[in-house]
Amino acid sequence: MADGAASKRPLSPHLQIWRFTVTLAASITHRGTGVVLYGGLLLMALWVIGLALSPELFAAVSAIIHSPLGFILIVGFVWSLLFHLMNGLRHLYWDYGRGFAMKTATMTAWLVYIAATLATALIIWAGYGGGA
Amino acid sequence: MSKKGTSAFILQRASAVILAPLSIWFLFEIVSALTADYATARAWLSVPLNAALLGAFFIIGALHMRIGLAEIIVDYVHSWAKDVLLFINWLAALGLIAAAAWSIYTIFFAG
Repeated sequence: MADGAASKRPLSPHLQIWRFTVTLAASITHRGTGVVLYGGLLLMALWVIGLALSPELFAAVSAIIHSPLGFILIVGFVWSLLFHLMNGLRHLYWDYGRGFAMKTATMTAWLVYIAATLATALIIWAGYGGGA
Repeated sequence: MSKKGTSAFILQRASAVILAPLSIWFLFEIVSALTADYATARAWLSVPLNAALLGAFFIIGALHMRIGLAEIIVDYVHSWAKDVLLFINWLAALGLIAAAAWSIYTIFFAG
């Protein structure tokens, strides 16, 4: 579709057309967290490169990690990975043609939001030495 | 991306199935690894299991994220910029694989 803009072929309805539901939110969040993880993995590559190349570069990356911004990035990355992982399991289940009933899909969407948030709290608490 | 739909679909699912257990390991380790000092972090990555699993997470993650972002680009960009973005997307994934593999290899064999 090289002449995309000029094409007469119809596009499917865009985001703002749909009534807001938790399943819609989960669908958008799946893409959003995917993009966050993409950026996070690139940032984490800086961390390993610093670790391999020089203590000075590592110290610079480490200073960001230990700043308030670094804490927000880590919490955001952990929540995104948990959400994307759990919602990804929903997608794999759907690939088998199951779990599409309205009640089921709505319940699993809520479940993913709640479980990802609780697990994030636990991992951040334990990761920063809360249990030790 | 024409005529690559089926293989991308399969690779997306296959990588997801491998990334699921890898992510659980990753989530257990990553916060303390990222917040560690230089010597501790190098010691952590010198453990064979950690080096292998972090390397696998980066490489399989790069393949998975490339397909996912390509899907988003194709959905929202309908101009000439689409091909440019898809190319940059490829470069980012390959760069990530190269950087992670080289770094982990270097640290692991430096001891």
